[in-house]
Amino acid sequence: MQSADRYLTLLTSLPAHGSLFGATQTPLSRLRLEMRLRWLEAEDAEDLARLSAVVDWYDQRFGIDDETVVRQAEQRIAEIHNDFVRELARWRLEMRTLVAALRLRRDGAPAPSSRRRWGFGRWVPQITRHWGEPQFRLERVFPWLPQARRLLDSGDALGLERLLFGTVWTHLERIGAEHYFDFEAVVVYVGCWDLVARWTRYEADAALARFDDLLDVTLAGAGDILVDAGFAALDDATEEVAA
Amino acid sequence: MNELVVALGWAGMYGALALGAIGSIIGCAIAGQAAIGAMVDTETGLGRYLGVSVMPSTGVIYGIVIMFTLQREVTVTSAPGLFGIGLLAGIALLYGGVLQGRTCASAIQAMKVKPEIFGLSLAPAAIVEGFTVFVFVFALVLAGNIPA
Repeated sequence: MQSADRYLTLLTSLPAHGSLFGATQTPLSRLRLEMRLRWLEAEDAEDLARLSAVVDWYDQRFGIDDETVVRQAEQRIAEIHNDFVRELARWRLEMRTLVAALRLRRDGAPAPSSRRRWGFGRWVPQITRHWGEPQFRLERVFPWLPQARRLLDSGDALGLERLLFGTVWTHLERIGAEHYFDFEAVVVYVGCWDLVARWTRYEADAALARFDDLLDVTLAGAGDILVDAGFAALDDATEEVAA
Repeated sequence: MNELVVALGWAGMYGALALGAIGSIIGCAIAGQAAIGAMVDTETGLGRYLGVSVMPSTGVIYGIVIMFTLQREVTVTSAPGLFGIGLLAGIALLYGGVLQGRTCASAIQAMKVKPEIFGLSLAPAAIVEGFTVFVFVFALVLAGNIPA
């Protein structure tokens, strides 16, 4: 069987994604997805796990310094066999480096030293060199950068997250356009699934926060009513005692 | 030399069937895998997926008919015609089967997401089928002109 058709059964067994921002839940549960991904060959499964270890936030440790993070990421990416997966991992980390640079600069941090490894990828020297420029002179390479900077400066965290999710989604769609039933198509599917899972979870978190707010307001209102009722009962009792 | 020419004649006579069968085998395997995957994901329309997955099997049927049409005494005079028609028709049937299998796999994937496009999604596979029918019909026409 040709490698282009290697994962025909796996991919046709996966339900289609809708639009990212219109989704209310993932097309299939994480458990089911992991069960289907057991059909992957060992080397491909390892590559997918390594990609996940590099880009998933759950697997990141925040107590270590930037240089160690970059070194670990480079090691993990070097261990990936598939060129497509390796390139995707690099692209995701370069994007995160850009967003991290925007955040650092917004918080008033000076330009990082060129001797320190604070970011990942080929654009780090360019970012350091053009720290004072609004988009590090990279707006032609990354058209989403000006909007990301505006959203970050205005404190619109949700808008920024939406922009970044949309950018990754579009990139996945673009690089997956030529892949139908091969491993690369599986990688793209899992990447899209992950975005939908994270986005819908954000919505759940927002709903939960909104529910908590409503609960606080309701309980506060109910508390006032109870207090008023208590005072009224006390007044009645006092009048009865006086009589 | 004559023996080689005769051998090529036999190869052409059987080639149409053999190559057509190879195309059908690969095409049905590709579309069949897609059908199995779709069955895992959906609860309805399972018969449709199976039906679509056997579309590439027509290549072997055309191959059989071409082989019987070409069947005659293989001589130095008839062998080149048998070889040319049989081999080229077989190659066309092989590619037709394989690529029809892929279009069927895509059709299965598409109709799983949108069952209402069942008919439309089969149009590319039907067009591929149309080209193999051309190959089949004109192989039969030309087979009548092979000198004895």
